[in-house]
Order: sequence, then structure tokens, then C-alpha cells
Amino acid sequence: MVTRFSLLKEFSAIVPDDVLVLTSIGNNSGFWGQLKDREANLFHLTMGMCSSTALGLSLALPNRKVVALDSDGNLTLNLGVLGTIANEAPKNLTIVVMDNANYLGSHKHEPGMPTATAGKMNLEAVARACGIASASTIEDAVAFRDQIQAALSSAGPHFIRARIEALDTDGPKKSKRVPDPRENKYQFAGYIQKTEGVEILGSGLGGG
Amino acid sequence: MKPEKAKLVVDGLKEAGVDFAAGVPDAQFIEVYKMLAEDRDIHYVGAANEAEATGIGFGAWFGGKKPALILATSGLLVATYHLARINLLHEVPVLVVIPYRGDIGDPRWLGLYKKTTEPGLNAMDIPYRIVSRSADIVRTIKDCNESARAWLKPVAVLLNEEALW
Repeated sequence: MVTRFSLLKEFSAIVPDDVLVLTSIGNNSGFWGQLKDREANLFHLTMGMCSSTALGLSLALPNRKVVALDSDGNLTLNLGVLGTIANEAPKNLTIVVMDNANYLGSHKHEPGMPTATAGKMNLEAVARACGIASASTIEDAVAFRDQIQAALSSAGPHFIRARIEALDTDGPKKSKRVPDPRENKYQFAGYIQKTEGVEILGSGLGGG
Repeated sequence: MKPEKAKLVVDGLKEAGVDFAAGVPDAQFIEVYKMLAEDRDIHYVGAANEAEATGIGFGAWFGGKKPALILATSGLLVATYHLARINLLHEVPVLVVIPYRGDIGDPRWLGLYKKTTEPGLNAMDIPYRIVSRSADIVRTIKDCNESARAWLKPVAVLLNEEALW
């Protein structure tokens, strides 16, 4: 198996600037924020909210590629979203699940309590059974790069289950501050306004 | 629910500029969900639970949509964590429309919802209006959505059975 950091490094090397990347809370947000400082990132998507947010965004912007960097504990809290994704079938959406099979949280030095994927649950099979035909499992960086590149160059929805080490034994050097949710909202919405020509934030006269 | 009352709800959403909706169908509002599912101006996404619907609406806002969540009174409780989060941490506007069980006009006493709905919205700091007259449905939905978008926070409309039946 491979570490989360190794896969995120692979992704950071190939992700096109205009692909919208959404990250679940914890180390997906923390590591990605250090690796790839860009306006097209939406961080801090809490338990059960990462893939659903990515679905809503992908439906609103059908011509824009959207990648959710989700995790096993986060996804299984709202697992029904996989059926919704299959039925809505956004061609521009890729869900990547960093599946470490435990509730690691952030800044932990030993694996947390097991998620269902530590037992009998296979998220690739679940996604496929929900109706997402393009579902795969990767266990190393080369296969991950191949799958994510294929996903970004073909019609989705795509689901990539990335089996990663239980513990984040490596990670990026912390050199910058990951924006907080409000700051990130203005940054991300402003970027989409600028690049898509849509109005999101309004007049700005709301709180003064 | 009479179809003409459901149409008032959908008319209100359109007057408000809502072009995206998510929710989980319930018996009290079923005519509204059916109309939304067939409507060409509003993209309705049927979610598996109301927390998921909240995430979907939240994501759609970032794509330039004007989203509404159509939630059962019980569904508000399911959505609470995610609604609180997008209100208090992200500060993102989503209109929340709820057929209000447990309020005046309900043929059954559903005290669970009377005891949780308004205190829950207050605890989450989500402003709301209760609509008791069908004549006020369209205007109140429109006004609440305008406030939500100006304030960058969710605003709820509670439609009780006096207004709906």
C-alpha cells in the first residue's frame, strides 16, 4: 500500500489549474493545502459532506471538472450520496476516496478506531452496485496517476478507491496557512465568478 | 395537500430566482416534490437524506446556483449538523423551505417538531419566518431568499398547515 501523502503528491504534479478540487476535513485538507496553494480548492468539508458538495458543484458547473478528495469515514457517514451521484450522472465528477480503514482524524500518531472498510465493506463494489460503472481500486502511486488521468480525460462519474496506509507516516512540511472556511469561501467563490462569469457573492452589502 | 397550494410554493421559489433544489420527499409536501421533479427551470436532486441534500445545495451555490432545500420537519433534524456548519463556519446562503408539522392547523399533535424546529433554528442562528396564510407563501419565500443571499446565511420558511391545507 501507499501513503496519502504519496498520492496527493502525484495528484499535485498533474492536476490542471482549472480543475476544482474539494477536500474532506483532516489530513486531506491539511496536506493538500500545503502541497497545492491554488484558488480552485475548497477545503474543510466535514463528515458526510465532501462528495455531496462535489455533486452539487458538478451539477451547477457541468463543463468544469470537479474532483472530490474524500475519505472512507467521511463518505460512509452519507453513503447514500453514491446512489444520488449514479442517478444524476455528472460527467465531470471524480470521487477519490482515501481509504485508510480507520477514523484517523488529524495529527494522530497511531491509527484510530476501524471504519467499516476495515471489515467487510468494499467501497469500489459499493460504488459499482450504486450504479457508478467507472469504479476502481488502486494501491500504488503509478496506478493512481493512471486512474486519475483517465478520469480527467473521460466522461464520468468516476469513483477511485485509494487504499492507503492506516497511518500518515509522511506528510508535507508545513510552510503555509490553510485558509479557514470563510476565507476559503470568498477565495473559491471569487475564483469561480472570475472564471465562469457567474454571480455568487452578490453585492457584498449584507453585513456591515 | 391541494395542488394549488403546492403550486404556490413552486411559484414562490421561481419568484425568488431559485434554480436548484434538493431534498427528500415526505408525505406532507409530496405535491411540491412532484412539481419540482418535473420543472424545467429548477434542477431538483432527490437525496437519500437531508444532510446529503444540504451538501448538494451548498456545492451548487459555489457553482452560481440559487439553491433551496425542501425539507420535512423531521428532515431538518437530520440536516442540522451540516446546516449549522454552512451557516456558522462557511456562511453560505441556502433557502430552507419546511412544511411545519406540529404548528397550528396540524390535525395531529406532533409536539416533537414543535419542541425542536424553532429552537433548533434559533440555536443554529438561522433566521426564519412562519407562514400561516396561503396568500403570503409566494412573497415570504421570495423575501427570505433575498435576505439569505444578501446576508450570506441560510434562511428558513416554515409553512404551517393553516397555510397549506
